[in-house]
Amino acid sequence: MARWQFRPPVERTKHGFRINIDDHERELVARLLEEMRTLLVGPADNPALARIFPAAYHLPEHAEHDAEYQRLMREELVASRLAGIEVVLEAFGAKPPLTEQQMLALAQALNGLRLVLGTVLDVSEETDPDDIDPEHPLAAEHQLYGFLSWLLEWTVRSLTKA
Amino acid sequence: MPVAPAPAVVDRPTTDETIDPDRPWVVIVWNDPINLMSYVTFVLQKLFGYSLDKATELMLDVHEKGRAVVSNGSREKAELDVFRLHEHGLWATMQQDD
Repeated sequence: MARWQFRPPVERTKHGFRINIDDHERELVARLLEEMRTLLVGPADNPALARIFPAAYHLPEHAEHDAEYQRLMREELVASRLAGIEVVLEAFGAKPPLTEQQMLALAQALNGLRLVLGTVLDVSEETDPDDIDPEHPLAAEHQLYGFLSWLLEWTVRSLTKA
Repeated sequence: MPVAPAPAVVDRPTTDETIDPDRPWVVIVWNDPINLMSYVTFVLQKLFGYSLDKATELMLDVHEKGRAVVSNGSREKAELDVFRLHEHGLWATMQQDD
Protein backbone atom coordinates (compact mmCIF):
# COMPACT_ATOMS: atom_id res chain seq x y z
CA MET A 1 0.00 0.00 0.00
CA ALA A 2 1.32 3.41 -0.91
CA ARG A 3 1.86 5.86 1.84
CA TRP A 4 1.25 9.45 0.87
CA GLN A 5 2.48 12.17 3.07
CA PHE A 6 1.58 15.83 2.65
CA ARG A 7 4.63 17.96 2.10
CA PRO A 8 4.13 21.68 2.57
CA PRO A 9 5.67 23.94 -0.10
CA VAL A 10 7.77 25.59 2.58
CA GLU A 11 8.84 23.86 5.76
CA ARG A 12 11.07 24.44 8.73
CA THR A 13 13.38 21.51 9.41
CA LYS A 14 15.96 20.83 12.06
CA HIS A 15 18.64 22.29 9.82
CA GLY A 16 16.81 25.25 8.34
CA PHE A 17 14.07 25.91 5.82
CA ARG A 18 13.19 23.90 2.74
CA ILE A 19 11.25 25.09 -0.27
CA ASN A 20 9.54 22.14 -1.90
CA ILE A 21 8.38 23.72 -5.14
CA ASP A 22 9.43 22.28 -8.47
CA ASP A 23 12.06 23.77 -10.77
CA HIS A 24 9.46 25.28 -13.05
CA GLU A 25 7.90 27.21 -10.15
CA ARG A 26 11.27 28.22 -8.82
CA GLU A 27 12.28 29.60 -12.20
CA LEU A 28 8.98 31.43 -12.42
CA VAL A 29 9.56 33.19 -9.09
CA ALA A 30 13.14 34.03 -10.08
CA ARG A 31 11.97 35.47 -13.40
CA LEU A 32 9.32 37.59 -11.68
CA LEU A 33 11.91 38.91 -9.25
CA GLU A 34 14.16 39.85 -12.14
CA GLU A 35 11.26 41.73 -13.73
CA MET A 36 10.63 43.41 -10.39
CA ARG A 37 14.23 44.53 -10.29
CA THR A 38 13.80 46.22 -13.68
CA LEU A 39 10.54 47.81 -12.55
CA LEU A 40 12.11 49.20 -9.37
CA VAL A 41 14.83 51.08 -11.21
CA GLY A 42 12.47 52.22 -13.97
CA PRO A 43 10.22 55.31 -14.11
CA ALA A 44 9.21 56.42 -10.61
CA ASP A 45 5.65 57.30 -11.59
CA ASN A 46 4.78 53.80 -12.84
CA PRO A 47 1.26 53.21 -11.47
CA ALA A 48 2.11 49.53 -10.89
CA LEU A 49 4.48 50.69 -8.14
CA ALA A 50 1.86 52.71 -6.24
CA ARG A 51 1.70 50.21 -3.38
CA ILE A 52 5.47 49.77 -3.26
CA PHE A 53 5.99 53.49 -2.56
CA PRO A 54 2.98 54.69 -0.59
CA ALA A 55 2.65 58.12 0.98
CA ALA A 56 4.04 58.45 4.50
CA TYR A 57 1.90 61.46 5.44
CA HIS A 58 -1.76 61.15 4.45
CA LEU A 59 -3.04 64.55 5.67
CA PRO A 60 -3.08 67.30 3.06
CA GLU A 61 -1.45 69.75 5.50
CA HIS A 62 1.58 67.46 5.63
CA ALA A 63 2.08 67.35 1.86
CA GLU A 64 5.46 69.06 2.14
CA HIS A 65 6.65 66.50 4.65
CA ASP A 66 5.54 63.73 2.36
CA ALA A 67 7.41 65.23 -0.57
CA GLU A 68 10.51 65.32 1.60
CA TYR A 69 9.97 61.73 2.75
CA GLN A 70 9.64 60.58 -0.87
CA ARG A 71 12.76 62.50 -1.83
CA LEU A 72 14.86 61.09 1.00
CA MET A 73 13.47 57.60 1.51
CA ARG A 74 12.43 56.36 -1.90
CA GLU A 75 15.98 55.50 -2.89
CA GLU A 76 16.39 53.68 0.41
CA LEU A 77 13.24 51.69 -0.27
CA VAL A 78 14.48 50.76 -3.74
CA ALA A 79 17.89 49.75 -2.35
CA SER A 80 16.26 47.67 0.37
CA ARG A 81 14.00 45.89 -2.13
CA LEU A 82 16.87 45.26 -4.56
CA ALA A 83 19.07 43.84 -1.78
CA GLY A 84 16.24 41.53 -0.71
CA ILE A 85 15.76 40.27 -4.26
CA GLU A 86 19.50 39.50 -4.48
CA VAL A 87 19.29 37.47 -1.26
CA VAL A 88 16.39 35.42 -2.63
CA LEU A 89 17.94 34.80 -6.06
CA GLU A 90 21.16 33.72 -4.40
CA ALA A 91 19.29 31.44 -2.00
CA PHE A 92 17.42 29.85 -4.91
CA GLY A 93 20.72 29.14 -6.66
CA ALA A 94 22.41 27.67 -3.57
CA LYS A 95 21.95 24.30 -1.94
CA PRO A 96 19.16 24.07 0.62
CA PRO A 97 18.41 24.56 3.45
CA LEU A 98 17.70 28.26 3.63
CA THR A 99 18.42 30.43 6.65
CA GLU A 100 15.82 32.43 8.53
CA GLN A 101 17.27 35.64 7.08
CA GLN A 102 16.86 34.28 3.55
CA MET A 103 13.29 33.29 4.37
CA LEU A 104 12.49 36.78 5.63
CA ALA A 105 13.81 38.20 2.37
CA LEU A 106 11.65 35.68 0.49
CA ALA A 107 8.52 36.74 2.40
CA GLN A 108 9.19 40.41 1.64
CA ALA A 109 9.98 39.73 -2.02
CA LEU A 110 6.88 37.56 -2.56
CA ASN A 111 4.79 40.24 -0.91
CA GLY A 112 6.34 42.86 -3.19
CA LEU A 113 5.37 40.81 -6.24
CA ARG A 114 1.82 40.50 -4.92
CA LEU A 115 1.61 44.25 -4.33
CA VAL A 116 2.53 44.97 -7.95
CA LEU A 117 0.37 42.23 -9.46
CA GLY A 118 -2.54 43.00 -7.13
CA THR A 119 -2.35 46.68 -8.12
CA VAL A 120 -2.28 45.87 -11.83
CA LEU A 121 -5.19 43.45 -11.44
CA ASP A 122 -7.00 45.86 -9.12
CA VAL A 123 -7.96 43.03 -6.76
CA SER A 124 -10.52 43.44 -4.00
CA GLU A 125 -10.80 41.52 -0.73
CA GLU A 126 -13.41 39.37 -2.43
CA THR A 127 -11.27 38.46 -5.44
CA ASP A 128 -10.70 34.71 -5.42
CA PRO A 129 -8.24 33.54 -8.08
CA ASP A 130 -10.07 30.20 -8.19
CA ASP A 131 -13.28 31.95 -9.28
CA ILE A 132 -11.76 33.81 -12.22
CA ASP A 133 -13.29 32.79 -15.52
CA PRO A 134 -10.62 30.91 -17.54
CA GLU A 135 -11.67 33.05 -20.51
CA HIS A 136 -10.84 36.24 -18.58
CA PRO A 137 -8.12 38.15 -20.48
CA LEU A 138 -6.00 38.27 -17.32
CA ALA A 139 -6.84 34.75 -16.10
CA ALA A 140 -3.17 33.71 -16.16
CA GLU A 141 -2.14 36.72 -14.08
CA HIS A 142 -4.90 36.02 -11.55
CA GLN A 143 -3.67 32.45 -11.33
CA LEU A 144 -0.14 33.71 -10.79
CA TYR A 145 -1.38 36.02 -8.04
CA GLY A 146 -3.05 33.06 -6.36
CA PHE A 147 0.16 31.03 -6.59
CA LEU A 148 2.19 33.84 -4.98
CA SER A 149 -0.39 34.19 -2.20
CA TRP A 150 -0.25 30.46 -1.54
CA LEU A 151 3.55 30.45 -1.42
CA LEU A 152 3.70 33.51 0.83
CA GLU A 153 1.11 32.06 3.20
CA TRP A 154 3.24 28.94 3.64
CA THR A 155 6.41 31.00 3.95
CA VAL A 156 4.87 33.04 6.78
CA ARG A 157 3.53 29.88 8.38
CA SER A 158 6.97 28.29 8.41
CA LEU A 159 8.49 31.42 9.96
CA THR A 160 5.76 31.78 12.57
CA LYS A 161 5.91 28.24 13.89
CA ALA A 162 8.72 28.32 16.44
CA MET B 1 14.89 67.61 10.61
CA PRO B 2 15.51 71.38 10.91
CA VAL B 3 12.57 73.57 11.80
CA ALA B 4 11.87 76.15 9.12
CA PRO B 5 12.36 79.77 10.13
CA ALA B 6 9.26 81.81 10.89
CA PRO B 7 7.58 82.89 7.67
CA ALA B 8 7.92 86.54 6.69
CA VAL B 9 4.26 86.79 5.78
CA VAL B 10 2.56 85.89 9.03
CA ASP B 11 -1.01 85.74 7.80
CA ARG B 12 -0.26 83.02 5.27
CA PRO B 13 -0.63 79.60 6.85
CA THR B 14 2.35 77.32 6.40
CA THR B 15 2.70 73.61 6.96
CA ASP B 16 4.78 74.13 10.04
CA GLU B 17 2.01 75.95 11.83
CA THR B 18 0.05 72.73 11.91
CA ILE B 19 2.84 70.96 13.75
CA ASP B 20 3.07 71.22 17.49
CA PRO B 21 6.40 69.64 18.42
CA ASP B 22 4.99 68.39 21.73
CA ARG B 23 2.14 66.41 20.27
CA PRO B 24 3.22 62.82 19.62
CA TRP B 25 2.86 61.19 16.26
CA VAL B 26 0.95 58.01 15.59
CA VAL B 27 1.72 55.43 12.93
CA ILE B 28 -1.38 54.03 11.25
CA VAL B 29 -1.69 50.85 9.20
CA TRP B 30 -4.58 50.94 6.73
CA ASN B 31 -6.64 48.08 5.42
CA ASP B 32 -5.85 47.02 1.88
CA PRO B 33 -7.12 44.19 -0.30
CA ILE B 34 -3.71 42.72 -1.11
CA ASN B 35 -1.76 42.06 2.08
CA LEU B 36 -2.45 38.69 3.67
CA MET B 37 -3.75 38.68 7.25
CA SER B 38 -1.05 36.23 8.30
CA TYR B 39 1.67 38.37 6.73
CA VAL B 40 0.46 41.58 8.41
CA THR B 41 0.39 39.86 11.80
CA PHE B 42 3.86 38.46 11.20
CA VAL B 43 5.30 41.86 10.21
CA LEU B 44 3.81 43.59 13.26
CA GLN B 45 5.37 40.95 15.51
CA LYS B 46 8.71 41.19 13.80
CA LEU B 47 9.00 44.99 13.64
CA PHE B 48 7.55 45.95 17.00
CA GLY B 49 8.13 42.82 19.09
CA TYR B 50 4.40 42.40 19.73
CA SER B 51 3.10 39.08 21.00
CA LEU B 52 1.09 36.97 18.58
CA ASP B 53 -2.09 37.97 20.48
CA LYS B 54 -1.35 41.70 20.32
CA ALA B 55 -0.30 41.58 16.67
CA THR B 56 -3.41 39.57 15.76
CA GLU B 57 -5.62 42.07 17.59
CA LEU B 58 -4.07 44.98 15.66
CA MET B 59 -4.34 43.11 12.37
CA LEU B 60 -8.05 42.42 13.02
CA ASP B 61 -8.58 46.10 13.86
CA VAL B 62 -7.03 47.01 10.51
CA HIS B 63 -9.16 44.42 8.74
CA GLU B 64 -12.46 45.25 10.45
CA LYS B 65 -12.20 48.98 11.24
CA GLY B 66 -10.07 49.93 8.27
CA ARG B 67 -7.11 51.19 10.28
CA ALA B 68 -5.16 50.76 13.50
CA VAL B 69 -2.49 52.70 15.32
CA VAL B 70 0.52 50.40 15.58
CA SER B 71 3.12 52.69 17.18
CA ASN B 72 3.69 56.24 18.33
CA GLY B 73 6.42 58.62 19.39
CA SER B 74 8.46 61.52 18.08
CA ARG B 75 8.20 62.48 14.43
CA GLU B 76 11.61 60.91 13.74
CA LYS B 77 10.62 57.61 15.35
CA ALA B 78 7.27 57.55 13.57
CA GLU B 79 8.94 58.21 10.23
CA LEU B 80 11.37 55.37 10.80
CA ASP B 81 8.52 53.03 11.73
CA VAL B 82 6.61 54.08 8.61
CA PHE B 83 9.71 53.39 6.53
CA ARG B 84 10.16 49.92 8.02
CA LEU B 85 6.49 49.16 7.37
CA HIS B 86 6.87 50.36 3.78
CA GLU B 87 9.94 48.14 3.42
CA HIS B 88 7.65 45.25 4.31
CA GLY B 89 4.87 46.39 1.97
CA LEU B 90 2.32 47.50 4.54
CA TRP B 91 0.20 50.54 3.85
CA ALA B 92 1.34 52.81 6.66
CA THR B 93 1.11 56.56 7.19
CA MET B 94 1.60 58.94 10.11
CA GLN B 95 -0.14 61.91 11.67
CA GLN B 96 -0.05 63.83 14.91
CA ASP B 97 -2.19 62.40 17.65
CA ASP B 98 -5.53 64.22 18.00
